[in-house]
Parts: sequence; structure tokens; C-alpha cells
Amino acid sequence: MALLQRPFLVLLLIVTHQFLQYWVAFGSVNEECQKQEEFNEELLLKPLPDRKALAHFHFQSSAPPSTSNGRHHHLFPKAISQLVQKFQVKEMELSFTQGRWNYESWGGFDPISSSNAKPPGVELWAVFDVPQHQIDASWKNLTHSLSGLFCASINFLESTTTYSAPEWSFPPASGNLRYGTLPREAVCTENLTPWLKLLPCRDKDGLAKLLDRPSIYRGFYHSQRLHLTSTGSGSEGMDSGIILEQTLTAVLRPNSRRASMAHAREKHIQPSWSLSSIFGKQVSGRCVLVKSSNVYLLLDRGLVSELKHLYKENEKLVANDLATKNFWTNPSFELSAKPERVFIEENSMHSNSSSILYKFPVEKYSESEPFDLGVIWKDPVVWLCQQAPLRASRFLMGSGNERGTIAISLKSTQLSEGFMGANANDKRCELRVYVFQVVPWYVKVYFHSLQVFVDQQPKAVSDIIEKINVSPSKDKVSPGVMEVVLKLPCRVTSAALTIEFDKGFLHIDEYPPDANQGFDIPSAIISFPNFHASMVFLEDDSLNKSPLLSKFQEKSPVMSYTEVLLVPLTTPDFSMPYNVIAITCMVFALYFRSLVNVLRRRVAEEERFLKDKAARKTGWPLPLLSKLSAKLRGRQWEPPHSAPASSSFINSKLVFKVILVAGLAVGWQYYFS
Amino acid sequence: MAEISEAHDSDSSKSTDNASEAPTQPESEPEFNPKLMRKTKPGLKRLFLTFSVLFSFLLGLQFLWKSVEIYRSPLPFREIDSLSTQLGSDHLIFPLHFHALFVGFDSDPDRLRLSILSEITKLTSQNPKCSHNYTLSVTVDSGSHCLHSPTTSPHSCSYQCGSITAIDFDQNDDVAIDERLVPVFGGKTNEYSVVVVKGESERAVVGKNRRAWVVVGSGREVEIAVVKVAEVLVKVFVNGGREEGSIRNEFMPVGADGRIVLSFNLLNADPRDWVYDWDFRKIDNNLLAPMIEALGPVANISVESQVLYHTPKASFSYWDQQLQSYVFSTKDLPFFVNSNEWHLDTSIAAGGRSKILQFVVYVPSAKECPLLLQLPNGEISNTNGFISPMWGGVIVWNPQGCLKDDNKPTARRTIPMQDLENMFEVFTGQFRQLFGFKSVNIYAGASGVWNLLPSERGFTEWELDVLSRQHTCFNLHSCASTLGSLSRLVQSLPRMIIMDEIGKQVKFSLEAAKLAQSNASNGVYESSAASSRQARSLAEDAFFHPSIMSVSYYSFEHCFAVYSPFFLPVSMHVVLAALSERRRYRKEKSKYLAWKAKANAAS
Repeated sequence: MALLQRPFLVLLLIVTHQFLQYWVAFGSVNEECQKQEEFNEELLLKPLPDRKALAHFHFQSSAPPSTSNGRHHHLFPKAISQLVQKFQVKEMELSFTQGRWNYESWGGFDPISSSNAKPPGVELWAVFDVPQHQIDASWKNLTHSLSGLFCASINFLESTTTYSAPEWSFPPASGNLRYGTLPREAVCTENLTPWLKLLPCRDKDGLAKLLDRPSIYRGFYHSQRLHLTSTGSGSEGMDSGIILEQTLTAVLRPNSRRASMAHAREKHIQPSWSLSSIFGKQVSGRCVLVKSSNVYLLLDRGLVSELKHLYKENEKLVANDLATKNFWTNPSFELSAKPERVFIEENSMHSNSSSILYKFPVEKYSESEPFDLGVIWKDPVVWLCQQAPLRASRFLMGSGNERGTIAISLKSTQLSEGFMGANANDKRCELRVYVFQVVPWYVKVYFHSLQVFVDQQPKAVSDIIEKINVSPSKDKVSPGVMEVVLKLPCRVTSAALTIEFDKGFLHIDEYPPDANQGFDIPSAIISFPNFHASMVFLEDDSLNKSPLLSKFQEKSPVMSYTEVLLVPLTTPDFSMPYNVIAITCMVFALYFRSLVNVLRRRVAEEERFLKDKAARKTGWPLPLLSKLSAKLRGRQWEPPHSAPASSSFINSKLVFKVILVAGLAVGWQYYFS
Repeated sequence: MAEISEAHDSDSSKSTDNASEAPTQPESEPEFNPKLMRKTKPGLKRLFLTFSVLFSFLLGLQFLWKSVEIYRSPLPFREIDSLSTQLGSDHLIFPLHFHALFVGFDSDPDRLRLSILSEITKLTSQNPKCSHNYTLSVTVDSGSHCLHSPTTSPHSCSYQCGSITAIDFDQNDDVAIDERLVPVFGGKTNEYSVVVVKGESERAVVGKNRRAWVVVGSGREVEIAVVKVAEVLVKVFVNGGREEGSIRNEFMPVGADGRIVLSFNLLNADPRDWVYDWDFRKIDNNLLAPMIEALGPVANISVESQVLYHTPKASFSYWDQQLQSYVFSTKDLPFFVNSNEWHLDTSIAAGGRSKILQFVVYVPSAKECPLLLQLPNGEISNTNGFISPMWGGVIVWNPQGCLKDDNKPTARRTIPMQDLENMFEVFTGQFRQLFGFKSVNIYAGASGVWNLLPSERGFTEWELDVLSRQHTCFNLHSCASTLGSLSRLVQSLPRMIIMDEIGKQVKFSLEAAKLAQSNASNGVYESSAASSRQARSLAEDAFFHPSIMSVSYYSFEHCFAVYSPFFLPVSMHVVLAALSERRRYRKEKSKYLAWKAKANAAS
């Protein structure tokens, strides 16, 4: 066939010049079709053990490289491509979070928690494709641009005291990385609106229409995230353009309709919920510009094994039948819509249970027939989410305004034993933990005071810490950064790191408006490089891979953030400087006056007056006055010789002085106003 | 403090200063009154002490004053004032050279020149800001020989006598004639030439390259020609063919940093009906690039584009049965642009003070599909677009037949290239309008209609000259006014810190302004426009320098509040002590003198 075609083609090319042109044009059109801009929208729903529901929106836009497609985009947001071009951003992630991810009950080992659970406030990191000396300048400009783009005070990350450059403990680490957080940034709808503007359909159509502001901000946790990767102009070969990934993760409480008749038995029943009950809206079709639009429902491993257990009890059936496509008509719960496909996690490590994913394509639904996925629970189910090997928490020790101790405690989770079951008996089995901690300069950490406790026993630092990288803080210049690799035995039940610090003093200008609230120490990042959170769902259609599922497949190390610490610093009385000035000046003035008076003093003269005073006796009203005025003048009082004359003299002088001072004041006022 | 003791000073001084002498003296000199005189010289010790304290205090004040002094970079206030007075009083004068060539006439060139000059002065309206200084040379080519007026004009030399004849103008192809005229007047010269020939078909054409020609019929040809020549010179070449008062002359959509960002937006009102896309890259390369290059001296232009979806217009249109379409009337135009839903956005790539002009192609939804704009007189707009001064322009583009493809509504369709080209022609017209030019190629003057040849670059050479002149004028005035307000601000706030950088910017701005002025008076329009742009942007930079914007400059009130608790009481004591010591010394001295006089009289 090919042999036949080729001579024919060559003949055609030779025969007509016009045809050649047509052919070339056709070829170029074909090429463009392959590298078009794409947009995908996906929503993942997941019931959580503590009667809440997780909604994870995932929007992904991709633009082909600008070298082949020019700088004019059709779907991709203009602002982002300009940002990437202007600041040569290789990779960037910006997240706005409100609330704290509850690792204990919402899970800590799945891809959602390790890449979408973020510290409260704003977190920004970026990798630049510029020479080392330009990175800081690029970072500063980037923070300002983002702050304008997202209506947030990201520009505070510009100061060198707020950002740091982790070297290896932060997962996408490289020399060109900058990392900064603003723990106290309040996140609200003014940050969401510009984020939505980057979507081609905004919240007018498609899945984003579900993003009802009141129901999202009423939730327990929400985190909007923007992650972009670009292959810069410099790199060759692997040129995939810009990929912009926007996710919004929210933990919401379904409005339980049966709350009124909450019997003791129903306390354990999961609340039944649907899209319309948690968002107040339904999906009325997809955004017309998308390549794919899907809703997924994920049942995690713990839940599935629990359901299997129940199922076995009830139906006395073989477990293998569960994994059939009829699983969605389970006796313990019911789905209101029929899924198109059921995925079962491909799992090599944990054979006993694997999570199940239901796929609902939105294409089939329309305005007249909206999509409203509901889950109705029939039997009480209690399960636990999968945990990270160690649960990290951080707290402050010590009291007073002078010094304290930061402690990071790592506790083994029961579930993790399963992971290490195979090699836990091995004595040399080791659990590696990366700790990345940034402390502001006014919390002066003594790195020599680092102590490590394993199973409540103090251990030599060198035994446990495999690698440590410390960059001490410089006052008013840079924060202190600590990167540690801990090497713990697998059977560890608890470990703790403590480090002492002194509280520094700030200049009066450096205090924030609400200084008495305390100062935040950003979250520490604990990551487990040997554990990868990934869920593999095999898709038969390799061309139309779902970005969300391929994201789940990526082997990203398990990561968790600790709490934000609030350190109270000594705050001065802010009117104090002026008080101090006033009182010291007064003391100096008094001293100076007495010095001048001593210099002018005529001792013999005064002695004579004293004698005179003793000799005379006078009536009280006038001498009292003169005595008073004498006192005012800081002079020894002398009894007057001629009382009326002296008193009038004093009064006129006094009056003159008062008038003089008043005149000065009036003149002053007149001149300066 | 010494006052109270003054009443008793007389006797006390006696006792202190002359304690030993007092008992012995009264007998020898009975007229000695201790209240009025003394026998010894008053001591200088305390007087000296208190005055030295006062002086050291005053000296210390100097140091204090020096230490609280704030840094103010010296600004050239005088130069700023002189710049604004220069621009204000004796205008910015642009030299222009006109050349009128009469082919096939045998009139006296001097007479023609005088009559044209008188017509020109009749037509010239005095621009309050920038004026022109023109020279006119007239050549009469009677076929066999040429007559020049003035005979020694350097500008008429470029014309080779007899190189053009009336036959050249017989053809109807104006573009070819325009090309033909280029070598005749020596290629690239800055003079504006008008050729007058006799012919059958009367017409008047303005070419692309600072040339115009008039074909006049027989009859009173010379008088008509003189009026026409004067009009084309003044109204078209100098004023750019715009009507007085249509758009203000100083109205320039150029940002303070001399940049324009053209942001092209394709808005799909409702993508559920249809999704249209465009091949903007081709348009950018083919149509926009030449225009941007042409406007280089006036502004630094960059282009960006985006496609937006779900962008309905803000107001409603009504169905017109006759036209079989939806009609949007002019009075509703202010409500066409929907600022809530059209997130056209400012550009990140643009600098802070760039001017962004938004050009919008609006694709209506199926509900309002053939959407037409109605002019105030009831007619339907040809271009189906409108401009909003200083904002940009909008074009409504209706898809062919408004047919909704129900089977595949989401397929992306591309706007046909032909339509796109038409659209960008309209955009070019809108862009010209934003600069104050006409979008039609006809100038209707008092003496007749001139046909203006359009340039493929959007702006002809003489139009660019007009823009450059106007831009220079506008920039210099705005630079002078910015610097003037900066100097007023700086002078009114004596405690404001002024960084060196501001001083430098002001200096450079003044230098650039001077350069622009000298270039303008030499007739080098392009470089004068460029340096005037630089002058303006530097002046704006200086005025909007962040250190000026900061509120926390060191106020005098603050200084007073900090230092007065110490210096006020101390200075009171020191000054009063010095005063009283001085008074006491004088009193004692007069006493001593009185005694001395008495003693002298006695002896």
C-alpha cells in the first residue's frame, strides 16, 4: 500500500505546483491540530470518615510551546502565559487556603492530601529559568504581579525576610527555587474570582458552576491552588509548552436531611448527600470548550475493605464478586446515577484492599436533564483513612517572653505498620523523614540546641540525623532555614525534635498593626521520600487520558504540613518613645538649670538677705504672694523692703512674661498654620 | 529671676563687692549713697560665664539643625520655569517647506507666490500651543523654461526643470502618478509639494508621500489653483485633514511612558451556540506589523490577543422585521461594553503607565444573531463597529447566516480570512480615528473635494508627520506641566526628602526636552518626537517616584515634638539668665560710674 502510494504522491507533486501548495497547507493544518490548546475539567468526590465530604475540582489547561504556536492563545489564559514569559517561570505553585487539613481523619497518604493539603494562608514557590543572580529580582517581580492578579498581599513575600531557598528538602528542589508563605493571609471570594477568570468558561458553565461561594466558604477547609509547569524557551526536545493546573479542594459538611430524627443507631450512619445538597446547585452540562469533563466518586481503601466486610456478612458471597461492575448497587449504599465505568485501583503493595473509582461523564447531561450525583447510605460504616507513616505535629514549649522551644513531634500511625510489615522485622530497616522548617529572624534559633528523642529516649544527634543543612537567620535580612533528614528505625513509635530559641526585639517600625496577637512561624514541611502517594487506575483509552487520574499516578513523595505556630513576642508600649524623650529631656533640663543657677549664685549676698529676713516680721498676704513667686523663680525668698512697690513690680513683670509667652505661642501658631 | 533682688541689689552689691570697704568709707565721704553708687568696678566673672553658656548653646543649635536636616537633591527650578515659559510664550515653532509647481502655466511666479501666501494666512488658525513657520517656493514650468520664486530658494533646486509634463497626469491611476512624482522632487525631502497641471478631468489628489496634485480645467484656472493649493497645504499637510473641534488636537492615546498596547479580544457571547476562533498570528504578521513599524517614532506599540467566552453585552437589542435582524441603537452604545463580564484585563507584559487600547470583536449569540448597529439617523452602520475614545473600539461580527449547527455546536470554527481582513481594516480605521484622523479617504474642503490616497501601512507619510509634530508638541507641554507641578510640590513641602534619582531624572528630562525643541526647530520630526517622548516619560517617572509618594516624610512638627521638651526649658533658663546678668552688670556699672563722677567732682 505504502509502496503504491509513494510513487503516486511523487507524481502528483511533480505534476502540479498548486497541488503541492495544497498539500503543504494541509500538512501544516494537521500539525496544528495535534498541538492544540486543551482544557479539561474534573471533579472528584469522596466521602470522609467523619461524616464530611471532600470535593476536589481539577481544571487543567495546556498550551503548546510558543515557538511553534506563537504567543496568541485561544483557550489558555493570556495573563498566565505573559507571566511565564516575562519572569521565565519554570514551575510555580500558589495556594490560598483557609482552615487546616485534618490529617488524622481526612487521610495523609493519598495524592489528594499530599499535594492538595496546604498550610493556611498563602503559599508560593517558584522555580525560575534564569541565571542565579537574577532569581531574587524575578521572584520580587513575580510576587508583585501575582498580588495584582489575585487581589492578595502576596507582595509581602518580596522582602528577603519572608522567603527562603530550600536546597533539597522541598520536593521539586533545585537551586533556582524560592519558597515563601504568608500564614496570616485571609482568603476569601476576592481571591477566588480572579482564579476563576483563568478558566475559559469561568463559573458560567460546566463544573465550575458548582462553585457556590457561600457553600464553599462555609466548609471546614478549602484550598485553591494554581500550579503551572512550563518548559522554558531554552530547553530543547521535551517541549510541552505550559500546563496550568488549577485545583480547588474543599471539605464540606453535607446538610443531613435526617438530622431531626437522629436516633442513636443513625449516629454512625454517614449522612446521605448529593451535589445539590452540598453545593446547592447541579451540573447542567459541561463547559463547551473542554476536551473532557468528568465527575468521579472515590471510595478509599479503608472504606472499600469495610464495605466488603459488611457485604460478606450480609450476603455471604465471595469477595471476588464485589469487584464487578455491579458494585454500585451495594446493599450499604446507593448511588443516584449509574456510573459509566468503575475503576479498581491497581495495587501491588496492599493486596487486601484497593480503592474504587466511579466515573460519571458529564457530557450526557444537559440543562433539561441536570446531573446530580447522590450517595445514600443505608448501613452504618466506620472506617479510617490511610495515614502517612508518621503523624507530625509541632508545638511550643517554655513560658515567658524571653525564650522558648519549638518541638516537632512525629508519632507513628497504627496503619503504617501495614506498609512496613514486610521488612519491619529487619533490623536495618530505616524510615527516612525530611523536615523543612523556616523561622523568621526575630525567632532566634540556636541550632546547637537541637535535640532528638526517639521513643522518648534522647538520642545522639549524629545517630539519627543523616544530613542537615542550616542557614542561620540574619537580623532583618533573611530567615533561618533548617533542612534535616532523619533516619529513624522502622519500629519507631514516636520521635521528637526540639530546638531552643530566643525571642528577638523588633524595631518599633517593624511591628505589624496588631502586634499583640503574636507572630506566626510558618508550617514545617515533613516529607517521606521513600513513600509515594500514588493511585493507579488503568485506563484503556490511552489517548484521552484524564489529567486527574494521570496526576494520581505520579509518584510524588508523601508530604504533610504541621500547624502554624503563634509566638507571642514582647510588644512595647507604642507611645513609650515619646514618653521617654519627654522625661529624659525634663531631667536634663532641670540639671542644666540648676547648673546655670549655681554658676550665677552670690553666696554672701544671700546670707545677708537671710539675716535681714530673720530681723523683720511682715504681714502674711503680700509676702506670701512674693514668697510664692520667689519660689516659682527658684530663688531664695527675701522679705520685701517696700512691700507695695515690690509687689506691683512683681506683678507687672509677671504679666509681661505671660503676655510674652502668649505672644510667642500666637506667633508660632500664625507662622506655622 | 534676678528681678526680685534688683530692688535690694543696691545695698546687697555694696555689701558683697565692697564688704571690706563698706564700714570704712561712710565717714570719709558722707554723700555716698549705697543705693545709687558703688566704689568698685562690677565683676565680669558671672556675666562672662552666663554669656559663654548662651553662646555655646547657640553654637550647639547649629549642629542640631545640621543633624536634623534632610537630604534634598537640588532641582533645577530655574530651568524648569524657563522651559515652561519658553513653551508658553514664544510657542514651539515647526519649520515647514512648501513647494508649489505649476506645470504648463506661464504666470509670474512672484505674483502666484504672494497670492498663495495671502490665502494661506487667511486659512491658518492660530494654534495656541504649537505654531508653524513656513516657507513657500513657487516654480512655474512653462515647458521650455522654469521660473523660480524666490529665485535663491534652496528648496526649489531639487526640481529638475521639465521632468514632469501634463501628460503624466492624464492617466487615471493615482497610485502610479504618486509613484511617478517621487523621483521628480528628489526622493526623500521634507518639503510638501503640490503640482498644478491643466487637464480635462478636474481632480485633486493627495498622495502618500507628501505630494499632492491638482488637475484644473480651463477658465479661471490660476485663481482656483491658488485657493486649492493653499487649502491642501494648510488643511491637509499641516492639520492632517481633520475638522477643527472634532477631537481635541492634543488628544493622544499614548501612555506616559510612550507605549501603546493593542489588546485584541475575540468575544464569543455564548459559546453554547457557536465557538469562533481566529488566526491572529497571520493578522499580526501581515496587517499589524507594517502599521506598528510606521508608527515607531510616535509610540512603541505591542500587540497581544485573547479569545474570551461567555461574554454577553450589557444591554438589549430589538428585532427589526424589515431588516430581518436585531438592531442596537446608538443611544444604547454606552451600555454595550459589559465591564462585569468582559474581563479584558490589563496586560502583565505592559508597564505601569502604558496605554492599553482594547479592540473587541464581538460575536453575538444565536439569540441575537444578525446584530446590527444603528446610526442616529436610522441607517445601519457600514462597519458595524464603534470607538470609545481612549478606550478602544468594538466591532460586531455576525457569523455567516447565523446558522447554528445543532449536531456539533462545540466544534471550533474559524472566522474566514476575508472577514478577518475586513475587520482589521475597520480596526485600522478606528485606530486612525483614535489618533484623530478621518477613517474615510476623502477630504471635503471649502474649495472642493480632495481624494486622499491610503497607505498600506495605515498611515501615510504626511499623516505621520502631522502625528509627530502633534506628539512632540503634546509631549513637551505635558513634560513642562509635569515638571512645573513637581517643582511647585517640592517647593511647597520644604521637609520632603528628594532623592538624587529624582534630580537626575529631572535633569535628563530637561535635556531631552531641549533636544526635542532644537530638533523640532530644525525640522527633524521623528527624532524630536522620540526625544520629546523620552522627556515626558522621564518627567512622569520623576513625579511618580516612589519616594515622593511616601507619606512618612520627616515633618517639622515631629522634629518639634521630639526636641522641644529639652530645648524649650533649657533655652528659657539660659536666655533669661544671660539677660538678667547683663542688666545687673549695667546697673552696677552705672552705680560705679556715678560714684566715680562724684569722687572726681569731690577731688
